[in-house]
Amino acid sequence: MKKKLMVALAVLLAASGLFAQGSKEQGQSQKASGPVEITFWSLFTGGDGEFFDAMVDEFNKSQNEVVMKNDTVKFDNYYTKLTTALAAKNAPDVVVCHQANLMSYAPNGAFVALDDYVSKDVLDDFPAAPLDACRYNGKLYSLPLDVHPIVMYYNTDILSQAGITKLPSTADEFLQASKQVKEKTGKWGMLVDNTTGTYKAYTLFRLFYSMIYQQHGTFLTDDNKAAAFNTEAGAKALDWLKEGVADGVNPNGLDYDAAMNMFKLGDGAFYFNGVWATGTLEKVDGLHFQAAPLPALMGPEPWAWGGSHTLAVPVQKHMDETKVKAAVTFIEWMTGHGEMWAKAGHIPVRSSVQKKEAFKALPYRPGYAGAAGYVKACPGIPAWEEIYGTCSDLLEAAVTKNQDTKTALANMEKTVNDILAKY
Amino acid sequence: MIPGNKDNRDGWLFSIPFLSVFGLFMVYPLAFGFCISFFKWNILGTPSFIGLKNYLDLFADPKFFSSLWHTLKFVLITTPVLLVLGFLMALLATSKSPLASAMETVFFMPYIFSMTVVSTLWAWLMQKDFGIFNHWLTQLGLPPVGWLTSDKVAIWSVCIATFWWTAGFNMVLFTAGIKQIPKEVYESASIDGAGGWTQVFHITIPLVYRTTILCLILQVIASFNVFGQVYVMTGGGPAGSTRVLVQYIYENGFKYFKMGYSAAMSYVLFAIILLVSLIQYLILDRKEA
Repeated sequence: MKKKLMVALAVLLAASGLFAQGSKEQGQSQKASGPVEITFWSLFTGGDGEFFDAMVDEFNKSQNEVVMKNDTVKFDNYYTKLTTALAAKNAPDVVVCHQANLMSYAPNGAFVALDDYVSKDVLDDFPAAPLDACRYNGKLYSLPLDVHPIVMYYNTDILSQAGITKLPSTADEFLQASKQVKEKTGKWGMLVDNTTGTYKAYTLFRLFYSMIYQQHGTFLTDDNKAAAFNTEAGAKALDWLKEGVADGVNPNGLDYDAAMNMFKLGDGAFYFNGVWATGTLEKVDGLHFQAAPLPALMGPEPWAWGGSHTLAVPVQKHMDETKVKAAVTFIEWMTGHGEMWAKAGHIPVRSSVQKKEAFKALPYRPGYAGAAGYVKACPGIPAWEEIYGTCSDLLEAAVTKNQDTKTALANMEKTVNDILAKY
Repeated sequence: MIPGNKDNRDGWLFSIPFLSVFGLFMVYPLAFGFCISFFKWNILGTPSFIGLKNYLDLFADPKFFSSLWHTLKFVLITTPVLLVLGFLMALLATSKSPLASAMETVFFMPYIFSMTVVSTLWAWLMQKDFGIFNHWLTQLGLPPVGWLTSDKVAIWSVCIATFWWTAGFNMVLFTAGIKQIPKEVYESASIDGAGGWTQVFHITIPLVYRTTILCLILQVIASFNVFGQVYVMTGGGPAGSTRVLVQYIYENGFKYFKMGYSAAMSYVLFAIILLVSLIQYLILDRKEA
């Protein structure tokens, strides 16, 4: 008898320890007097994180109905953490989600459809394309905070040393200008990272993707069921990427961090990266550079790969209408103050923000804000993450080892179709 | 157990705290993972049963085999080197040199750093354009090496970092083994005129045989599970040429959300490690008997 009692006691003790955390959280959500308290997870680190935190502070100061408790924990592996939290229906009230990752979640019912919550005025303030990229089955699952296309940075000192007065406007002119830089100054003509380091060689993929759309091609077929890049357009895009390295105007074995460092040190003339690099580059003393939208190297329009940070409201175990409304208030405010977020380099989406004096007064950003009109978003399919990573690896091999273009593209086409078949 | 006391209910009672945690966080996930390997599941949706399809897909996936091969290469390179290094370090640490205990500390030091610290450190040392290794090489008039960016060199670079990091652990095991050898054996050997190296080959090595087997089995298991160093140092690159199996499992599970496929690969890896350990155990044990 005594022993049975002890067993019961032990089990009880263990259980109370395990579930103490859960009951505490519940207690917090029931407290509803005063301003609504909502929580948030961000994937932003470093410079981006600072600007984002400053915005949250400003939001909290600007009104007294909603208090956003910004979780300062920065996760190395944000999406792993987010997915498990969403599966447990235990995620914070607002989360950041890249547009490219949205379709891993929205079709599974992990996010709240926002159509009935966002005011019409706010919706009308968004251009159609970036908003449509956040829709699934006609319903809106997040609002874009920014778009961040790939753009071209160029070192003005090196270009004037090399005697280049006009920016190249075709692929041939571009290679020619890069060679001229190499001959006249001894510096690298272009800095396109092509080797996996901290990141995969995503830049190669982003450029390849952009160049296909510039030639009015598509990466996947319209129904997203098969690869569509093994064409003349694809071959031309890959040839261009290979030539930079093969002609010795772009370093081989260059990883993302090294490319950034070399441009900072003034070792190269043309540098391609997402707009987020602006915030870092402008802090470098003695570096004179400009930023421009990706040039229309292969067609009439300057289409460019672009991502987008969007804000979404996760579905909770116990849905609380006031919290959803508070979350949407927060999201509306954040997207409406994109000029603060633009300090990180990103392009604000809402037209009213692009017209603000505070945005126009920022250095570099207004120069490439027009790129937002030519952003090609990623296809909204769950297989995208795997296609993105795998193709980056294959392009890396093709460019660094100067593989035959036809073979490389055929191999990549087969790989992409195999991936698509498995989802 | 107290002799004559056949009532071990209290034993079970005291084990409950451990067993409940062990069951919840080890046994349950293991069983759950095995079940999931027969399903198609993306964590958020409902799992759908697909029988053995994950296992069949796996044997038709060239990336699975290339990743397994990279892991195997890592095992084949690191296991012998780490055993020999650990043993040599242990010889130094147990020698009569006045520096012996200092050496023991120095050799073990790297092991206390976390994987991330070690990998980040070595990734910077070996960075192609700004790393100190290539800086030294160019100062000596030698061409720089793509330590982490050349597909021929990258796996070796990861191995070198691993040697530095984990050899100290094997040293501790070998040191313990060597210290258990009775001094008299060495004394009588030296009276009989056996020199230092003769003693090592004819006394030390045969008598630490048990420790060697232990080290070998632990090392093979640890090397098969390699992930962190590779992931931080090369990201599996260049172009996937160092992607190891655990990394591929991780990517499928937590980047592509193919939980079933990922679980199936984990169980294949488990079977391989089990098989290799069993073979080692059987062969080496028989040899001793």
